[in-house]
Amino acid sequence: MPPNSLILFDLVERFGHEPLSAMKAIAERVTDLEIDSPPINVTSEDVKKGLKYAGIEVPSGIRGRLALWGPLIDEAEAAIIMEDAPYYFGCVGCHRTNEMVKYLLRKKGIPILEIPYPTNEEEAKFMVTKIKEFLEGLK
Amino acid sequence: MNEKNETRMIVIAPSSEITPDQVVRFLHSLGKNIAIKETCYGAMIEGKKEDVQLAVREVRKLDPNRIYSKLRGFPVGDQRRCRALHGSRPGFTQLEKEWEMLSLIEKGLRAAEKNERIAEKKKKGKLSMDDFKRIVKEVIG
Repeated sequence: MPPNSLILFDLVERFGHEPLSAMKAIAERVTDLEIDSPPINVTSEDVKKGLKYAGIEVPSGIRGRLALWGPLIDEAEAAIIMEDAPYYFGCVGCHRTNEMVKYLLRKKGIPILEIPYPTNEEEAKFMVTKIKEFLEGLK
Repeated sequence: MNEKNETRMIVIAPSSEITPDQVVRFLHSLGKNIAIKETCYGAMIEGKKEDVQLAVREVRKLDPNRIYSKLRGFPVGDQRRCRALHGSRPGFTQLEKEWEMLSLIEKGLRAAEKNERIAEKKKKGKLSMDDFKRIVKEVIG
């Protein structure tokens, strides 16, 4: 988390693990010829998938995002959450979805590393060394 | 794109002396059957998964702690994401923000290589009521 972060994707891969990212889920949807009219490509299957992770009373934006990220959570064996990332806008712009994803990850009971988003050199060093330690511990 | 293909962004940290042009020339010199596009932050490459991953591994060797990579959802030159064709770039603000951070991440990677132990700095929390009372007493008497 954030699921489309360059920094996290790179670090996870660099330290020998397979990152599960929003980009992978998006790539399937925007390039799959079976989907009628990308990028307007939310199918009824996606709606059903979203319902698996959030109730019907939950706003559609959250359910739509969870239709993409929910299967990634199911697949995940560990998670890294970067708290207070300043780019909670754009395609990860829904803070409620982020809260929901954190809840689902905790509920799953997999190892989770929660680290603050770095703003200076010391914090960046702390973040990278912590991620390395966490990922090496998973092997 | 199918499961066998992959699109990657190669991002050069602002502190690196490598230029996007050098990266692109290097990628061409690998002789792999991949599409390569030079961009302001580095390059985008697309092709068979194994070719793309090999290219990423090789290009990282140019400047290991300052060249980063991530997957890209849309293919290279996709009209829905191409600025020249009025496509939107919703992820660009995030990429720009993270690109600025890469110089700090590089320092982090160096620290990780040296196995440095970095203590977490305590975040500034809210002032407790007892501390507040103590300060008031000290100031007012």
